[in-house]
Parts: sequence; structure tokens; C-alpha cells
Amino acid sequence: MSDLRRILKVAARLRNERLVGVRLKVMLPILILFLPGLAWGFSDPNIVLPGGHQPDTAMEVLFYASLGVVFGATMCGVLMAFDGVSKDRASGMLEIRLAQPMPRQHQAAALVLGHAQAILIPVYTLLILTVVVVRFRMGEWPTLTEAMVYGLSTGLIVLWYTLFALLASTTAKEQGTAIAFGVGVWFFFTFLWALVTTMVAYASGVAVGEPNDPTWVALEGMLDMLSPNGVYHHLLETQLPTIDRGIAAWQAWLAALLWTVLPWWALHRRMEALVP
Amino acid sequence: MADPLLTFDEVQHRHAVPAPKAWKPWAKRAGAGIHGISLSLYPGQVLGLVGPNGAGKTTLLRMMAGVLPIQSGTVTAPTEDRHSVAVEDLRNWAGHMPEQVRWQGAITVVDMLEQLSDMRGQRHHHLHGLLNLVGLHERAEEPLDNLSQGMRQRLSIAAALLGSPKVLLLDEPFNGLDPVAAEAFAALVRRLAGKGVSIVISSHMVTQLEGLIDRIALLHRGQLLDEGPLADVEKRLALDGRYQLTGPGELDDTNFLGHLDTDVLVTKSTEASWSLTVRGDAERVLQACNDHGLSVASWAPVKPNLVEWLCAATGMSLDDISLDVASSAMVPMMAMEAMEDE
Repeated sequence: MSDLRRILKVAARLRNERLVGVRLKVMLPILILFLPGLAWGFSDPNIVLPGGHQPDTAMEVLFYASLGVVFGATMCGVLMAFDGVSKDRASGMLEIRLAQPMPRQHQAAALVLGHAQAILIPVYTLLILTVVVVRFRMGEWPTLTEAMVYGLSTGLIVLWYTLFALLASTTAKEQGTAIAFGVGVWFFFTFLWALVTTMVAYASGVAVGEPNDPTWVALEGMLDMLSPNGVYHHLLETQLPTIDRGIAAWQAWLAALLWTVLPWWALHRRMEALVP
Repeated sequence: MADPLLTFDEVQHRHAVPAPKAWKPWAKRAGAGIHGISLSLYPGQVLGLVGPNGAGKTTLLRMMAGVLPIQSGTVTAPTEDRHSVAVEDLRNWAGHMPEQVRWQGAITVVDMLEQLSDMRGQRHHHLHGLLNLVGLHERAEEPLDNLSQGMRQRLSIAAALLGSPKVLLLDEPFNGLDPVAAEAFAALVRRLAGKGVSIVISSHMVTQLEGLIDRIALLHRGQLLDEGPLADVEKRLALDGRYQLTGPGELDDTNFLGHLDTDVLVTKSTEASWSLTVRGDAERVLQACNDHGLSVASWAPVKPNLVEWLCAATGMSLDDISLDVASSAMVPMMAMEAMEDE
């Protein structure tokens, strides 16, 4: 059996185990509410957003509905993966897994793929439904490129949070710490990042929260590169020509690559040093 | 004796323990662990790894299983002319059964074994044979959550046997097994050893290993006190040739044994009965008892328990050994390296 096939087989078993678990059943209503639910709201022809803006293209609606991904899908990714290692450690299963001849880096890859697939399968299913909802409400499909960028970006942000949760899971000795770390990271980037941005802007003498001030927009755009949620929005903005925050598409994709490679590498290192 | 399957030479692993400093709160230092242990595993032989809590049995087994890194020392496979065996290779060689695995989840027994088989890159056709071997064939489709402790132990054994390992490492395998299951397990171990599998069993209960092990390794505070065939080690530690004799009536003294080359270890006597524990030539002791007019009701060899093994090997008394297994007291017999920071 080739290494890749072995990784995929182990990942598929993990995925299937998670897909039939109670946890996903609990998460599904949240995901339904946050993904097609938000799209339904934002595609209302009479909606007026703060600032008097009205989304008028399918991609714009998807962009606003991506809030549901940031708040819901990433949280579900964390909740799906936080005990990916810590549960096995607590039950003694980790020792059995580590004693198998499968290299630990491959085990790490299988863990990531299995958990990411387990959350991405429902998320992608609901994203398709989201696009259909937008089409139903607005009579317009997103272009193929827009749909692909939307799907890929969403896949990446869910993958990043899965990686963070697994990193926490390998580091924490028990599950409480693992979930505290995973949710903490999610909370930091989802809710507290605005505070970080504000503080940096204040320290730099930039007027805070002025959407018409190019200095504020540029600073916010730059700082967003340091947050997975920010990079996600930068990726989506590559399909929105009306938004320019001073970050080129290649820079956004490069940041996405780094946000993928660095935590993955860190997880590999953790797995190599992991003791039961 | 056959050539060893695997030879561990001066292997060491010390656990990293937190040693926070004001300027480096995440600092760690090398703590207790395994120190310079040399050990050979022979095909078809059962090695009993014996020691008290905290002796390092589990750490040593994890090193042998390739779960913990070997920080220094070498592992060789003489029969295969391998001068160095990597940790990754050890995982191919060894099947490892950890002490306590709480198999849990909604997946079935056979699904779990298939998952582990996938991790070994193996097909699943032999799994039902394996479940037969450990007596779980009727529970193959049972969710893990429904298994009893004994069944979980059997599943752990099945998991260790995946891939037909040359070396089987069993950490306290008798825990949680009822006497019937324990006997069946011992028979399974003997059968596997008969097929040439080298087996290492750790236990702090020496009596459980009687009649099962060929060799014994006595571990204390991370160091190997003695190792070899059971009879040889018993002899070296003067724990061989011990017998207990009992009989009715009162025993005045044991001077009648004085002319024999015999140690009288324990004497107990009441008005109704007496018992003697001696070390020496059994036939001559029996003869002397008869000559002295003592009626011997029973005569049985006395096997040493763990405390006796440890006391004999360390020269320490039970009070010295005590219950202290604090990490600072783990390695008193070997000088620590000057550089302790990691």
C-alpha cells in the first residue's frame, strides 16, 4: 500500500467516524442557520446594510454570508477537532496509534485530512445550498471563478482552524485545556482581532474605524494578513473589484499558503515529539 | 541458546520534566527514566519485566515499541545482521499492548482493528482469525462502548498481534482479567512463544508470571538490577532452593538442622503446629526432620515475591525501599549527568 493511499484510508476512517457522531448532528442546525440562513437574509432584495449599502451581485451576497463561515463553520471545525489527539491520549489509544509503523508525519496528515473532511463535507453541501438560495432569491448565479474562490477559501479557513484545534489537542494533556485553547484562538481571531487592529491604529496615530480614510483601510488590510479570518476575507475580496484595501491577490494567496504550511509544519513537529 | 532477535545496548530515555525558571518558564530538565539498560530478546522466549511501581517498566516497553525515542544507546538485530535498528523499524518488529486502554466509541471491534490494520498498511483478511485467537469473534460487531474490561484487554492483545510481530510487548496484561481469562491468556502467550515470538511481559506481581516466563529482568528505579534465566537469577540472588515444611505439634528448636549446610530462614511454632522455611538440600532436611521425630505434614518450595527479589538484588531492606517513588529518588544508584537542562 502506498503512503498516500494509507494516509487517505486512515483519514477516511476518521472522517466516517466523525460524520456519524452525535457532535455533527448538534452542529448541523448551527451550520444551516449560519450558511444558507445568512445567505437567505443577505439576498433579500429589500435589505439595506449599515452605511446604506445594498448587495447587488451574487458574489457580494456570498461575501456577506461568509460571516456565517467565520462564525459558524470555523467554530464547528474547532469543535470537531479539539479532541482529535487528546481523547486518544486520555483513553490510552494514542499509545497504540503511536506504536504502529505508520510514520508520525503521515499520522498527522491523516488526522488533519480526516477531521477537515468531516467538517468540510457538511459545509460544502450547505455552501452549494447557499449558492442555490442566492440564485433563487436574486435570479443570479455566481461565476465559476467566484464559486471556486469562495469554495477554496472556505475550505482553507476551515482547514486552518482544524489545524489550530489539532495543535492544541497535541499540546494539551487533557481535553479541557485542548478545547480552551482551540476556542480561545477562535475567539481571539473572530472577536478580539478588531480590538488588536484598533489598538495598533491608535498607537500609529491612524483614525480608527473611518471607512473613507485610506490610511485606516490600508492598515486594517495589512493587519488582516496576520489573522486567518482577515486572509479569508482578502481571498474573497479578490472577486470583488469594488473593494481595494491595498493587498494584491498574490499577496492574499501567499498569506493563505503560509497560514496553511506553518501550522501544518508545527503539527508535524508536535507529532514527532508526542509522547503518550 | 539461539541468537538474540533484538539486543538493546546501554539504552536510555529520561522523561522531560518541567523546571521553570524566571527567565524561561517553559524550561525542562531530564528527569526519571531508563538508564543504560542492556537487554537481549530471544525468539520463542518469554521475558518477565519485574519491578515495583515507578521502576521504569512501562518506559522501557515504550522504548522497545518505538513509542518513546531511545536517547542514547543502540539497538541491533544480530540474526538479521542489522547493526542498528531505527525506532521506526522497532514499530514494525514489535506489537505493543499498553497497560490500560479504554477502548471507547461507537465503532465496532472489527472496525477498530481494520483501522489499525490500515495504519500498518495491511489487508484485513486475517482479522477474523485474530479475533478467534483472542476469543472476541462473537463480539466482532459490538461497539467498543459495550465491551467489558476483560474484553477490552483481549482487544488490546489483538491490536498488539496485528501484523504478526516478532516481538510482543505486554504491559501489565493481567490487569482486569478474571482468573479464567488470565489462564487463557497465559496459554495464548505460551502458544505464541511456541511459534517463535519473543514476548516481554511486565508485571509487579511475580506470582502471576510463575510458570510463564523463561527469563526475568529485575528493574528498579530505572536500572536493570539483574537479568537472565529465572533459575540463574534466583541462584545468583540466593533465592533458590527454599522450602517450607509444616507439621503438627510443637517445634522446640532447629538445632537438629545445624549439622546440615542449611539456612533456617523462618521458624513458626505453636502448641498445635509448626512451620519452617529453609534453604538447602530438600532431601537432607526431610531426612533430618524424620530422624528428629518430627512428623512432616507438608513440604513445598517457596518462590520469592517481588519484595524478596528487590531486597536480594539491591541489598536494601523493605523499609529502605519503602513506598517512595518520588522522581528525585528514582535513580540513586547511578550518577546523574552534570548537564540536566534540555
